[in-house]
Amino acid sequence: MVHVLGVLLPDLQYARQALTTFYGIGNKTAHRLCARLQVHDRQKIRDLTPTQITELASFLASPSTASPLRRMPLASFKYKPPPVSTSIEDIRRRVLEDSVPGPPDTLKGLKIESEAKRVVKENIAHLRMIGSYVGKRHAMGLPVRGQNTQSNAKTARKLNRVTRFG
Amino acid sequence: MQPSLILRSGRSAWKGPYFVAFSNLKQALEDNVPIRTNARACTILPNFVGVRFLVHNGKDYVPVAVTQDMIGHKLGEFAHTKKRFTYRATKNR
Repeated sequence: MVHVLGVLLPDLQYARQALTTFYGIGNKTAHRLCARLQVHDRQKIRDLTPTQITELASFLASPSTASPLRRMPLASFKYKPPPVSTSIEDIRRRVLEDSVPGPPDTLKGLKIESEAKRVVKENIAHLRMIGSYVGKRHAMGLPVRGQNTQSNAKTARKLNRVTRFG
Repeated sequence: MQPSLILRSGRSAWKGPYFVAFSNLKQALEDNVPIRTNARACTILPNFVGVRFLVHNGKDYVPVAVTQDMIGHKLGEFAHTKKRFTYRATKNR
């Protein structure tokens, strides 16, 4: 069992699936996250290395301040690999020199758990404040998108509040 | 206007928001005369801010004063079409 930021990730689940335990991370974001941390598709939580776990925790703690992505350009036909005797430090330095800034980071604005919930609350409060129909329906605890209310509408009664989640 | 509002609306981005060109908009802003309209589907544009509207709700015209926060929403969202049920003992009152 692994705790990351107070969330329990089940040992036997695939990492990609288990990441969706976080509020605010769905399948797509989990896939992106795995790609970023170099976690392969069939890797289970118990197979994650300690480095990967700390990396995951540090990334999720503050996605906006994470180190930017780097990309290696494709080698040209004339490229000759460095000799085998090159030291690992040398290779690392060369990789850093050759890599270029990657595409814009889509995970930069990632919000999870309480932060994501706060955004939802703010959006509902905004709709209520400007007096729109959606905000009014939230205040009444009724469905927002034209569903029937003669019976049921139970999900709406449970969830649609001006201050959601209690 | 938030670009995401357009993106989330399901309408093609190249079309831009749907809106009705009110010819008397400038005058309404100066004289503070409400614009009477049936165009509930008209998106509230940044230049509508401060204008008063009378939006049709199917029965009569409801006053809507446009503020900065309403930009990107539709006029119809602020003119409610349903009346809350209230019980009355007799019909003829």
